[in-house]
Order: sequence, then structure tokens, then C-alpha cells
Amino acid sequence: MSEPKRLHPAGMIFSIFQAIRHSVFGFLPLVIIAVGNDAWFYVILGASILIGLIILFSVLSWLRYNYQLEEDQIRIEQGILIRKKRTISKHRIQSIDLSQNIIHRIFGLTKVQIETAGSDHRIDAALSAVTMADGKMLHDQLKYKKQVTETDVNGEEQDLKEEVHEQDHPQKKITPKALFVAGSTSGSFGIILGLAGLAFSELETFIPDRFYNQATEWVFSQAVQVLIALAVIVLILLWVLGILSTIIQYWNFTITRYDKELFITRGLLEKKQSTIPLKRIQAVGIKETIIRQPLGLASVYVEIASGEIGQNQEMHTLIFPIMRKKHIASFLKDILPEYRYQPEGLVKLPTKAIPYYIIRSVIIPLIATVVVAVQFTEFTWIPGIVMLLSCIYGYFQYKTTGYLIQDQQLLVQSRTISKDTALVPHKRLQSLQKKQHILHRKQGLATLDTAILNKFVGRHFIVRELNVEDVDQIADWYSYRKKPLS
Amino acid sequence: MREQPNERIATDAIKAWKLTAQLIAIIPLLITIGAFVAAYFFDFLSYWIGIVLAVLTVLEWIISILIIPKLRWRRWRYQIYDQEIYIQHGILIVTRTVVPMIRVQHVDTQQGPILKKYGLSTLQISTAATTHEIPALIEDEAADLRDQISELARVEQDDV
Repeated sequence: MSEPKRLHPAGMIFSIFQAIRHSVFGFLPLVIIAVGNDAWFYVILGASILIGLIILFSVLSWLRYNYQLEEDQIRIEQGILIRKKRTISKHRIQSIDLSQNIIHRIFGLTKVQIETAGSDHRIDAALSAVTMADGKMLHDQLKYKKQVTETDVNGEEQDLKEEVHEQDHPQKKITPKALFVAGSTSGSFGIILGLAGLAFSELETFIPDRFYNQATEWVFSQAVQVLIALAVIVLILLWVLGILSTIIQYWNFTITRYDKELFITRGLLEKKQSTIPLKRIQAVGIKETIIRQPLGLASVYVEIASGEIGQNQEMHTLIFPIMRKKHIASFLKDILPEYRYQPEGLVKLPTKAIPYYIIRSVIIPLIATVVVAVQFTEFTWIPGIVMLLSCIYGYFQYKTTGYLIQDQQLLVQSRTISKDTALVPHKRLQSLQKKQHILHRKQGLATLDTAILNKFVGRHFIVRELNVEDVDQIADWYSYRKKPLS
Repeated sequence: MREQPNERIATDAIKAWKLTAQLIAIIPLLITIGAFVAAYFFDFLSYWIGIVLAVLTVLEWIISILIIPKLRWRRWRYQIYDQEIYIQHGILIVTRTVVPMIRVQHVDTQQGPILKKYGLSTLQISTAATTHEIPALIEDEAADLRDQISELARVEQDDV
């Protein structure tokens, strides 16, 4: 069908960067020790040898890497010493995604990620740099020609086709304003704070002692007001950074529903596409963090079976970063009509469950309080406050928890810190358990534990201390025994 | 999930569990002996440590060998329907589990040296997300069940 092709030479740059990034962490301790001993010469020598080797290997592996598009498969050859040939059949390809970071965009390139259905990720392939035209061609060849029933539009008519898609298929795009709100309520400044702290502790070794001492002296010599002002400025700065990172990540977030998949594009600097086959979606979740919940905002995500385990991604995939809670029902109706969100009539926990929730959240702070009260009596108030907070936390957990059965869908609402509502279809529940201990049996309570498959081993939905009749009812609904198999 | 399942596991399970518990009980016994020996050689260690440990060892022995296996056996029940597997177990926390046949991915039987001595084996049922066990069934019965479940599970296997 076509000649074997190499990647774009820019691919070398990526592999060089990647290799350097990987090796930096491994060698950092060595470098720090060497710098501590004033062995600059050896550091520079070692680094240049290493970089030389990396460049050599990158060039060689670029030379040895090629891909070839054939009738209904793609063939990839790679490896410097050990030659590997891999053929991926078109019918096995689940999704092909194009993504571009800044360097890609400067050269007009794209990265092509090919994902297969299996849970084995070594089978998946990624072409790190091909020209945009080639990328689009690959995408269309491998993907759309699969459905022979579709009119055979390819190549030149591509743009037209995309337009048709946009008209036919429900689509939702995030507005910059919503994105700004998402960023400002993301609470990610906590994470950034941690990262900044970590970076500082790493950098500390490089800052000359004299300067460091002077700086600390200066800080401590300031009045309390100045310190508070400084802290506020730092916090605001981190908050703005949080907003920026959200905007960069989710800029122009667009989700489109096709017949058998969801298609997401997003990103400001790095443009990312991802395809979620509907078959792989195990559950839909709605997450309201404590900052967003009072504002009536929530984010929507899906739980996907297997997926990219190796790619250091989050547990679940966002299908919309932020939206008003009242719009979720209509959003799902458009994009994922298989799921519906109508939390009215949620079955709550009985009042006799309150003590269990409060005791569970209070027990550890209680022990801490007792220990502190015995050892340092004057500081008892610190764990005391923690205890009070966990009391409130336990109560809110109790308040939030509930479930609802609607036809073939189970809705489970729970709270760790954020409020999380999961919509799970009957056929995605892998098993169901009812647990009771002695007190439960006396009080007519039971704990429900049901599991779905997700990226790792599975996610359990546990609803503690429901009325035993409610659990029995869920079990009846779940049981395949009485009704005919659907 | 209102009534408990019908089938019980093999009565020899109690013997097998008792034997396992006996073997495990050797560890606290060794620790106790060690404490006495240490107290004999070092003056700063009191014999009381050894005595407390000895009492604990005997208690552990009584509970784990004379009480737990019987209770555990009494609670363990299972039932195989055409459409699902129903399991009950647990002494303090009673757990009842339903595993639909169409969610079953594979079934294993396994047998360690202790179970082998009593001609028993464990049936392990895996779904995509969870694993469930029926311990200590009579060997042939376990093999039959395994075949039966995999036969039933084969019907109507849709995605995941």
C-alpha cells in the first residue's frame, strides 16, 4: 500500500529529551555528591559522555525505526540490536489519537497513538513524530475505512467529512469562562504547593549558604504583618498558577459523541485527542469537591476498563472538567444517553447508622487525643479540634451516602472528602456482597459491597449500614435468577 | 439474599483448618520458649514476660484450634444456580456474595499439601474485578463444580 517510512527527524529530539529526562533522576544524587566534592570536571565529562551516547542511540534508533501502512494493517519495525517487527491489524485497533506538544506544533507534526483492545500495553504503538498530513492519513486509513458501510470518503474530502460529523453528532465544548471557574476552584494549588516545596528542598543544596542565611535572616527580621502579606502573595500566586495549569490542560475541551465512542480534544500548548470506546466505559461518575459543591458545580468522569496503565494517568478520565450540577442530566442525555442522572428519591441511610459513621471517623483522633492528654496536657486542644472536625466529617459522610435503583442502573452516592456520585449499569457490576456483623444483625443493618472493573484491579462501591431490607432489595434487583436474562 | 445458601463444604475442612492452625501455633510457642531461654541467660529480663506469653500462646491455641474451625465451617455455605453463584462465609462479619455466571472469567481449583492430605481442594472463581473462593471441597466435587461453572459461564459472554 505504501513504502516503509521513517519518522520525522524531530522524533530524534523527542527521544533525546526523554532519555535525558529519565537519566537525570538516576544521576542526580551522584551529581550532588560530586558537586559537593568540587569534582566539576568529572561531572561535565560524565554528562557529556552520557549525552553523546544518548544522541548516538537516538540517531541509531531513529534510523532503524520505520512504519508501513498495508492493506488492512500497520507494520512497525524497530530496535537497534534486537530487531522487532510488529503488525497491528486494523480490526484490532480500538482507537487512534493524535496529539501535539509545542515542538510538534513548531514543525507541524503530530504524535500518533494506536491503542488495541487488549489489556497488554506492550502491544500498543506510538509513533512519536510524523507530519500532520501523514498522521491524518494514518488515522483515516486505519480507522474509518473499517466501516465499509460508511460512504467511502477519504483523503481530499476529509474536511468535508469532519464538518458532517460535527453536524450529526452531539458535541459539547467548554467556554473559557467555565474553564476559568474550573481552574479557580480546582484546589490544585495544594498540589502545586507540595511541588514547590519539593523543588525548593531540592534546590536548597545549590543555593550558597551565605545567601541562604541572609535571606532567612531578612525574613525573620520582618514584622508579622509583612510575613502574613508575603504568605498571602505566595498563596495567590499558587492559585493563579493552578488556574493557568487548568487552562493549559483543558483549553478548548470538546467532547463529541459518535456511534460507538466518545472523542475528546483538549489542550492549549499540547493538543491532545483521546478516544473512549463506549464498550469500555464501566461507570459514569460525578464529583463535587468541597469547594465546588456549595457553588453547585461538578466534574463528570468515566471509569474505563484497563486503558493506559503505564501512562501515569489519573484513575479515571474526565469527560467534562466542570459544569453546573443542574446541567448534568441534559449533558448525559446528549452525550451518553445510556446513563441518566436523576438523583431524586435517593434512598438514604437509617438514623441508627449515625453512630457507626461517627465512631469510624473519630476513633483514631480519639486515641491521639487520649495520648496527648496524658502526655502533654496543655496541648489537648489540638487533637480536640481534629476530633471535632472528624465528628463533623463522619456526620456528613452519613448525610451524603445513599443509593438509587433506576431500571438497569444503580446510582451510588458517597463521600470521601469530595462528594462522588457513580452511575453503574447492572451488567457492569461484577459481583455483589452483603456484609453483617453481630451488631448489624441485631439492628437490622447491612453493608453493601459491589465492584466494577476499572484501570487497576477494580473499584468497589461500598455502602455501609444500609437497612437490611434495602440491601436485600438491591440483591433481588441484581440477581439474575428470577428474571429472564436480558 | 434473604435465605442462606444450602450446600455445606466438606466436613474434613475442620480437620484441615485445625492442622493449619496447629502449624501456625508453633510460632508463638517458639517465641515463648525463646522468652524463657532469654530470661534464663539475661538477668534484666523477668520470667513474667515468658509467663504472659505462655498464657497468650495457650489462649491462641484454644481459640484458633478448638473454636474457630468449627464456627467457620458452620457458617460456610454455598449454592450454585444456573445463573449465579451464592456464597456465605465469615464468623463475626457474615458476608453473602452473589457472582453472576456471565461475569465469571475463569474458575480454578487449587490444593496445598494440607488439603491434599484430606483429599480436598479449593475452588476459586474470578470475575474481571474480584476473586471469590469456596475452600475445602471434596476433590472430585470441586473438579465437577469447576467444570459445571465454566460450562455455565460460557453461555452469553458479552464484553467485560
